[in-house]
Amino acid sequence: MDIPFVREAISQLFSKPSTVLYPVVPVEAAPNYRGRIAYHPEKCINCGMCERVCAGNAITTVVEKTEEGDKVTRTFNLGSCTFCATCMDFCHGAIEFTTDYHMIATKEEDLLVIGTHIRKPPAKKAPPKPAAPAAEAKPAEAKPAEDKAAAPAEAAPAVQPRDDGKPVQDPSKCVYCTICAKKCPAGALEVDRANKTWKLDEDLCVGCGTCAENCPKKCIII
Amino acid sequence: MFKKLIEESTGKSPWLFHINAGSCNGCDIELVAVLTPRFDAERLGFKLTGSPRHADIVVVTGPVTNQSLPRVLRAISQVPEPRCIVTMGSCPQSGNVFRGSYSVAGPLSKYVHVDVDVAGCACKPEAVIDGLALATQILAEKRRAMK
Repeated sequence: MDIPFVREAISQLFSKPSTVLYPVVPVEAAPNYRGRIAYHPEKCINCGMCERVCAGNAITTVVEKTEEGDKVTRTFNLGSCTFCATCMDFCHGAIEFTTDYHMIATKEEDLLVIGTHIRKPPAKKAPPKPAAPAAEAKPAEAKPAEDKAAAPAEAAPAVQPRDDGKPVQDPSKCVYCTICAKKCPAGALEVDRANKTWKLDEDLCVGCGTCAENCPKKCIII
Repeated sequence: MFKKLIEESTGKSPWLFHINAGSCNGCDIELVAVLTPRFDAERLGFKLTGSPRHADIVVVTGPVTNQSLPRVLRAISQVPEPRCIVTMGSCPQSGNVFRGSYSVAGPLSKYVHVDVDVAGCACKPEAVIDGLALATQILAEKRRAMK
């Protein structure tokens, strides 16, 4: 006579229990588990993309003016985070998700990851002019833009990259589609389609490279 | 002697009451995983109850919607003191992606004192076990303070 499941029942009697003995035996999370955020402020270029793409509004930034420059404090609230890692995807290496899943708090402050760095003003312009950057920057920017436009016409079509890590546009390839200006996290680019002008506000530019990545004609060099 | 026995046994076996305050079910599934054989929180004494009147620890999931708020507060008020309120996941702590919605009344800490926050979206069962263990300690302290 065949009794169903007898073999299974007997084998289960002698097998190990399936329960994870968690508090006694520590458990490591899977290799790519997205746990506690680690923020490396020294790598941050302050483009602000993390804050803009965050669905849960978990990232906040406070900027204080100090003598050395702008003191930027970025706070990640793990109690508001979905751990979707979109901020890490947009970041240039400053945000990292660790496999630490022990995020238990009795106070709200325990769930905050805070990092501070100092953003120095551009070295070229000695006195910072926060009052009238729009009026000042435009005539100042117009000249290098013209220079850039003139130089490749004479020499090779390739534009030389700048040594300060900021973008340069190749006017021979540019179609003035304005995608770079729309994608710029700092709002440093101003592109006029009708007049075919491409202007960069050097004070606002953080050199993140988003414009170069998104350029459909690949005419921005960084 | 009888009283002492009750005190000791209640400290070692805190009963849970789970409130879903508009959760997406992610955290609810993790809580079920904690209580079922794989993680088996019952071996540590945690037991799910059907009535808030039997509970010591209240586990809240979800961003506390307008519809659920009166029910959540009513259920929590029925839990006898000392009680410990544990929020599970990001939603009851801040509202998470539902923050600012017309139908969300949270976070929960606006209405009741929250003892333990377990972060994660959804949190790992091991983290929930840690959070419940911390809640048990807080519960023991509260019991001592009530004497």
